[in-house]
Amino acid sequence: MRWQRILSSRFFIVPMVIVVSVIGWNLYVMQHDHGLLQGHVVDASGHPVDGATVILFAHDFVTQVEKARTRTDAAGTFQFDNNDSHLVQLQAQDGTARSRRITIRLWFRAQDRVLQKPLRLAPGA
Amino acid sequence: MTHRDRQLLWLRHTALIVISIVMLAPFYWVLKASITGENIYDYPPHLWPVRPNLFNFVDVWYLIPFPRYLLNSIIVSLIAVAGNLVLNAIAGYALTLPFIGRRSVIVLLLSCTLIPFQATIIPAYLITAHLGLLNSYLGLALPLLSTIVCIFVFKASFDAVPRSLIDAARIDGLGDLRILLRVMLPLSTAAVATNVVLSFIWSWNNFLWPLIITRTQDMQTLPLGLARFLSYMEDTTAALYAFVVMVLAPGLLVFLMAQSAFMRGLTTGATKG
Repeated sequence: MRWQRILSSRFFIVPMVIVVSVIGWNLYVMQHDHGLLQGHVVDASGHPVDGATVILFAHDFVTQVEKARTRTDAAGTFQFDNNDSHLVQLQAQDGTARSRRITIRLWFRAQDRVLQKPLRLAPGA
Repeated sequence: MTHRDRQLLWLRHTALIVISIVMLAPFYWVLKASITGENIYDYPPHLWPVRPNLFNFVDVWYLIPFPRYLLNSIIVSLIAVAGNLVLNAIAGYALTLPFIGRRSVIVLLLSCTLIPFQATIIPAYLITAHLGLLNSYLGLALPLLSTIVCIFVFKASFDAVPRSLIDAARIDGLGDLRILLRVMLPLSTAAVATNVVLSFIWSWNNFLWPLIITRTQDMQTLPLGLARFLSYMEDTTAALYAFVVMVLAPGLLVFLMAQSAFMRGLTTGATKG
């Protein structure tokens, strides 16, 4: 009876809810923190671009600094597998064509993410 | 209920609602700024959040050692709460017992509440230094291990316990410590809750003392982290307010959980003659 009262008390339930939420969140993070960032690069007409360079900028307290580069494959797909930041920017370039630098905000460091919108190259952008 | 009574009731509730809105508006503004990134000086201001998101909280978590500050604050607050419960309960119980000079002790304690902590901070620092507790968790919690207000909360609550119960316990062979543990404290849950809430919030929000006795960033607590964050990130209002919300949230949670008992604890013995 006494234990039942303790277990149904808000002084027990609220901390337990917090503990369970924290454990659950950390389990989720552990399964999704491989630092993978995937996306596509397309040209102005929407066709995949092979061999375009994609630059990863990471947030460095107050500025964005370049952290890594990669190239797209024949399908215009690129992948970074070493992102350890929670706030990054991506920009693609191919010759004189560049895409806009897009900001990607992640829920935790090194979160795996597949970009839904492609990086679109624009001549002289 | 007459028509006039009903009118007065409406009037009273309307006034209370208006006062509540005025008092809660700054909190709402802080919360809104933390989830929108809107500049608080924007004109005209938006009443409702525009494109709310929680990414500012993620920024705060990673841009500074927030988890470390949080852990330090939790440890220091737990030590302060434990110290308050043990020391204040013993002191409060002692003040309910008859002894020579009891009145003088009460007057002395009450008069000490008039002295601000800033005036005694140098002796407090020297004592902490002599004990070798600078830059330690115990040193951070030391000045809040016992607070006079909380001693009197316990005293008021213990005074409300019928003497016959204490006499009966004494006849049954219980000593003072066991009377305190077995009789007084179970009958004073409101005072316990008040002690927990007050000591937790005071310790959680304490800024000056940790500023003085911490030597390394590893030992800093959340209020110091907030000041450090402000000096680094003075142009990011949203992250700053997200930090404020994260600092406020645990204190609010503890208060809301113990709210009813807290109110009872403050008013126990208020009408005692």
